[in-house]
Amino acid sequence: MEPGLLVPAGRGGLRVFLRNRLNVLMAVRVTVIIVLVAACLLTPGFLSEPNIMALLTTVSFIGCVAVGMTLITISGNIMSFCLGATAGATAMVFVVALNWGGIGVGLVAALSLAALLNAAQGLVIGWVRANPIIVSIATLALIYGVAQMFAGSSAVYARPGTGYEIFKGKIVGVPIEFVVFLCVAALGHFILSYTRLGRNLYMIGSSFRAAEAAGLKTWRSIAGAYLWAGIFTGLAGILLAIRYNLGNMDFGLGYDYDAVAAVLVGGTAIGGGQGSVLRTVAGAMVIAIVQALLLLLGFRQEWQYLFTGVIVLAVIILHTSGERR
Amino acid sequence: MPEVLSVERVSKSYSGITALREVSFSLGTGEIRAICGENGAGKSTFVKILMGITQPDSGSIRIAGSVRDVRRPRQAQELGLGFVAQELSLAPHLSILDNIWLGSAGIPLFHRRPQLRQRAQEALATLGMGDWDLDRPVGRLTIGQRQIVEIARLLARDARVLILDEPTATLSDTEIERILAVLKALKGQGRSVIYVSHRLGEVFELCDTVTVFRNGEHVATQPVGEITRERLIELMLGRPFDEMYPAVQAHPDAGNGIIVEGLTVPGVLQDFSMTAPRGKIVCVAGQIGSGATMVTRALAGLVPDAVGRVTLDGKPLRLGAVPHCVARSVFFLSEDRAAEGLFYMMTVLDNLVATRLGECARLGVLSWPDLRRIGARLAERGGVDRNRLGTPAINLSGGNQQKLLFGRTLERAQPGVLLMNEPTRGIDVGARAEIYRLMRELCELGYALIMTSSDLEEVVGMADVVVTMYRGRTVARYDRSRVAMSAILADITHPAAQAA
Repeated sequence: MEPGLLVPAGRGGLRVFLRNRLNVLMAVRVTVIIVLVAACLLTPGFLSEPNIMALLTTVSFIGCVAVGMTLITISGNIMSFCLGATAGATAMVFVVALNWGGIGVGLVAALSLAALLNAAQGLVIGWVRANPIIVSIATLALIYGVAQMFAGSSAVYARPGTGYEIFKGKIVGVPIEFVVFLCVAALGHFILSYTRLGRNLYMIGSSFRAAEAAGLKTWRSIAGAYLWAGIFTGLAGILLAIRYNLGNMDFGLGYDYDAVAAVLVGGTAIGGGQGSVLRTVAGAMVIAIVQALLLLLGFRQEWQYLFTGVIVLAVIILHTSGERR
Repeated sequence: MPEVLSVERVSKSYSGITALREVSFSLGTGEIRAICGENGAGKSTFVKILMGITQPDSGSIRIAGSVRDVRRPRQAQELGLGFVAQELSLAPHLSILDNIWLGSAGIPLFHRRPQLRQRAQEALATLGMGDWDLDRPVGRLTIGQRQIVEIARLLARDARVLILDEPTATLSDTEIERILAVLKALKGQGRSVIYVSHRLGEVFELCDTVTVFRNGEHVATQPVGEITRERLIELMLGRPFDEMYPAVQAHPDAGNGIIVEGLTVPGVLQDFSMTAPRGKIVCVAGQIGSGATMVTRALAGLVPDAVGRVTLDGKPLRLGAVPHCVARSVFFLSEDRAAEGLFYMMTVLDNLVATRLGECARLGVLSWPDLRRIGARLAERGGVDRNRLGTPAINLSGGNQQKLLFGRTLERAQPGVLLMNEPTRGIDVGARAEIYRLMRELCELGYALIMTSSDLEEVVGMADVVVTMYRGRTVARYDRSRVAMSAILADITHPAAQAA
């Protein structure tokens, strides 16, 4: 925990306590956790096995993308809007390659595509210092255009018997998606904390000019961040394709947004230089739980979007207010 | 002198740490008061309380005789207090006129432009700048001129007490002269000034009285005529002051070093040549715009369009690529530590080992025990408390931040070359002496040091060789034995005699 997180509430009691921003943040976090836990326990059907399994799967899809997004955010490049499209495109390429050459070819082709697509953006952003959001939006349009050209708006279906079915199901009672997500999170955490690339990303995000002046090869690290973000997102795309036996650009819808929400709710600073994968995992849990609750309580999809929007706004306001003094 | 402002027994603490303890203070009409103290002495907290940016825990403030509870900056403005912060707060794309009235309390929704224009003009005229074009964007002014706009802004709001925090830190000498003249003129009009500064020369030249803070307490207030420079420094430090500039040892002149020939940056620097042998400190002196800081930046690889022949220990040094320079142990220490030096939110350890992750990595995977060991050693060598390795760099004082940046460059396989711009800007006297000592130690280790400084006293105190510059060209070169402040000042300010 950060030092000085809780200032003893002496004279003045609650008012003094609330004057410290860190205290307020902590109080909000605790309240949110209590409310969520209470809602989970009180909502009928939440603790049922099918719901828990569905929850674990949802959190995995969001989570894989969000871990990738965390690398981008920490490197000071805010966010990428094309991770959802990457997931969709990866799923389609995976299915096509799978039908053609089997599971091995499918995995290699899909992951290479996801990695290249994003690493290329990373190079443009790192080398030319192009605006990361604009680059990601351009790539988004590009991916959708190309997909439309080749597949129209239809889905591609996986041929049974190509070997991908072995990745369906559970390992020790846990959906395979969740196991993959845990591996992704562990790898993401390892990259950020124990590799040169990860430490460079924190420095670049903390101060790009200071990183340049210190002689870091900034473009290389930024491209690295995007490369890994692509790989993690690609895994999410492959998992989606395996689960639904098809590849479809619609898979991408909303995942970048959920991922951004997870990163922000976790408390990673949008300006870069601060944050962690563990925080993002927590954020992804919160987002997935809220979505599951809404679904169980009979709200339609639109409400999920609306709620995620409100949560992101609230987090931004909470984190920014008082920071600019 | 009637009292315009008085503060009684004001205290303030942040999260249990006392920043000010029972400070009393009073300021007369037409008085220029210096506030001196090391970083962390409570100067900025005191100013923030006066300006209503923070509220004191106890104590009271009287303005023009009546007790006031200043809760917001706008309230302070209405009570006749005006503040110029260390970092200028002007909007560069707006005109001088707009900047003068920006955020003013007395502007009606549909304001009457001619009247505001006239009052702005008057304020500038008071400062002797009545001929300025009010519609000029502030971004096109020099930093010194912007400082004057800041002061005019306070006058236009009829501030009776002007509070200036390190107003000259980023100015060149002629600009400083002008600001000091302006402040003296304001004193003549019966306005009072609170002048927070590390620069003791200005304190003695400008101020009537000086107040010293130390560890959040008021230590002394005396007329400047009754106090010596040494005594003032002792009051600030709380201990006797030994020599500020360390003695120059006989150098183990390792020969070699950096040789620069024909260094040119289009439009900024023309045909600059010099030799910086290992074991010596070369000072490039010049005002803002002279190209002095461009020399260090270009040598550090930070200027893409720099051309020229540079050799380090006989081997050519490529320009325009920082990683290449760092690999040759050529390091840059920026005058702008906040933007170009530190990773503020990261820990002291992260900052210290920033450029040497490669030494502790195998296939890109880091060994934290190794990093921590190196970090601890660097902290010790640089003079940063080892127990603070886990603290975010933002929590360190300016002096410790600079020592941290020095620490980053130490303990290399071969002695390095340090390129420093304003190495002691914003650093208090105590830490300053330590940094000078560190610089001399580095010389003995065979480092070559090249620095720029707008503090002439520092130039004369530290340099083994001084190169003076004006408008992108070298004016003259002096060895330590021939260095004189007057000659340097003449070189960097009156080019006409030299340039011909």
